[in-house]
Amino acid sequence: MSKKILIVDDEPHIRLLLEQTLEELEDQDVELLTATNGKEALDLIQTELPQLVFLDVMMPQMNGFDVCHTVKHELAIADIYIIMLTAKGQEFDKQKGMEVGADLYMTKPFDPDEVMEKSVEVLGL
Amino acid sequence: MSTMQISLKRLLNKKEIAAILQQLITGLAGAGQSALPFAIADAQGTVLMGIAGEYSHHHRVEVEGQCFGWVMGSAEMSAIASLLSFLAAKELEKKQLAQETLDRYKEVTLLYNLSEKMTANLQLQAVATLVLEEASKLIVGNSGAVMFFDPETAETMQLASFGQEFCLQPGQGIIGTIFDTGNGEIVNHVAKDVRRTPAEQGFHSLVCAPLKSHNRTIGVIIIASSDLPISYTAADLKRLNAVASQAAAAIENALLHENKLREERIKSNLERYVPARLVQAILQSNGEISLAPVRKEISVLFSDIRNFTSQCEELEPELVVGYLNEYFTHMVDVIFYHQGTVNKFVGDMIVALFGAPSLVENNQSCAIEAAIAMQQRIQTIPITWIRENFHTGIGISSGKVIVGNIGSPQHMDYTAIGDEVNTASRLQSIAKGGQILVTRSVYEATCDQFQFKDFGSINVKGKKNAIEVFEVVY
Repeated sequence: MSKKILIVDDEPHIRLLLEQTLEELEDQDVELLTATNGKEALDLIQTELPQLVFLDVMMPQMNGFDVCHTVKHELAIADIYIIMLTAKGQEFDKQKGMEVGADLYMTKPFDPDEVMEKSVEVLGL
Repeated sequence: MSTMQISLKRLLNKKEIAAILQQLITGLAGAGQSALPFAIADAQGTVLMGIAGEYSHHHRVEVEGQCFGWVMGSAEMSAIASLLSFLAAKELEKKQLAQETLDRYKEVTLLYNLSEKMTANLQLQAVATLVLEEASKLIVGNSGAVMFFDPETAETMQLASFGQEFCLQPGQGIIGTIFDTGNGEIVNHVAKDVRRTPAEQGFHSLVCAPLKSHNRTIGVIIIASSDLPISYTAADLKRLNAVASQAAAAIENALLHENKLREERIKSNLERYVPARLVQAILQSNGEISLAPVRKEISVLFSDIRNFTSQCEELEPELVVGYLNEYFTHMVDVIFYHQGTVNKFVGDMIVALFGAPSLVENNQSCAIEAAIAMQQRIQTIPITWIRENFHTGIGISSGKVIVGNIGSPQHMDYTAIGDEVNTASRLQSIAKGGQILVTRSVYEATCDQFQFKDFGSINVKGKKNAIEVFEVVY
């Protein structure tokens, strides 16, 4: 089974940047998927079962916290690593992040090198 | 930027593209016909889609003349190659754009980190080093420097550097001109620039941005190349400007902090001698109140405990020092309250000045008021032994003396020199416990405010005539 990373952000440039950052992983048979909102993300998580999700917190329709909670608690999907992306300046609610089951959080502007390193680590490449 | 590589494999991995290709290839065969044999291979010939084999036609998949792979099969398959070429071109465009955005994004991240690190650091050299480090990550060069020009001393400080040395003299050379105009510049042929100084001749090219704070240029940041003929670009200058604007604020902060520290040091030193409010006045005076030696009209007060040594003989040394410190604390408080300055303690003796370093109009009456208050204060000190055994004699004189910092660079005292100092000392030595003796000049300036008794005349070493002495009645 090929490995999959799902990128969820309503901002196109963030999706593009994460895709570009992680593009070379495609050579190692990693598939990059994108979603533009929480609902779409939830559908993709259930059908594609990605191992790693970059999940924006602030999104229309269904925010990152809700998506994370649904995935980790209601659907109880195992073997999925969720990294919450939070904008600089808007204080990340660490308590809430922990409650919903986020594995890690990163602030935007994210550090591309850190994103790459973490992905390689989580996917065991 | 490195040349972009398009991977045909990645393109074909996209589900939508793969689906369309299958559809088209089926379509090409015509309705009811079995699909045409074909193969899509990458530039190296590895088959990615279809079936490997011998084909009559090989159609190139290319973008801007560069071959990315092959579509093999019948002549009609050229349409597939064209489609893949078009998709590859689009993908390349997107990739270039994404890469450029990512590069900018990395810059933004760097600047964010820089500003965070800088605000956490108030040490001037450390801030400059940090700034230069970050700048050299963004811009290629084998030399660099952050330089600060102090307009007060007209001196240049090299706060951080690597590689070859730079020199900043306002108005001189390329760097000096950039400092003067306050406009960053790229100079890609230093040798051809008429402004260059001999020192600058060692560089092939450089990019230099001013450090600006409140519309004033306070220094420059430079990245240069002396070994390779690097052509710096407008983007490099833009990045350096971005770093410079952050750096200027941080350097300004660090400078302010250093000044503040220095001020604090001066303050804590000064506060032992002069009242706190006077210290503040000195620090804010812009040099109006100077500690440099000057001739001044002041009053000098000497106070000494009668028979101190013999009284303390039976006490433990620690106790003596404890009592003295208690006594001095009260006396200094009184002296400061009456605008006096404590010049020094000699054993149990206190020397105080009124009218220096800052002017005190009625310095004679201030001195007498202080003297009376000192005598009275002793009686309120909550230690019986002090009240019973400390009896002080006070002498006050006034006139022109030299006051200022006197001594060697290692040890300086703010002190007074002159006949009047000797006179006050002499008066103190003859004053009995509780007595306040003053000279005629003090008496004349204050006779309408205080009551005096004639004390007669005494001889003072160094003075031909005997001097008249008055005792303050209080």
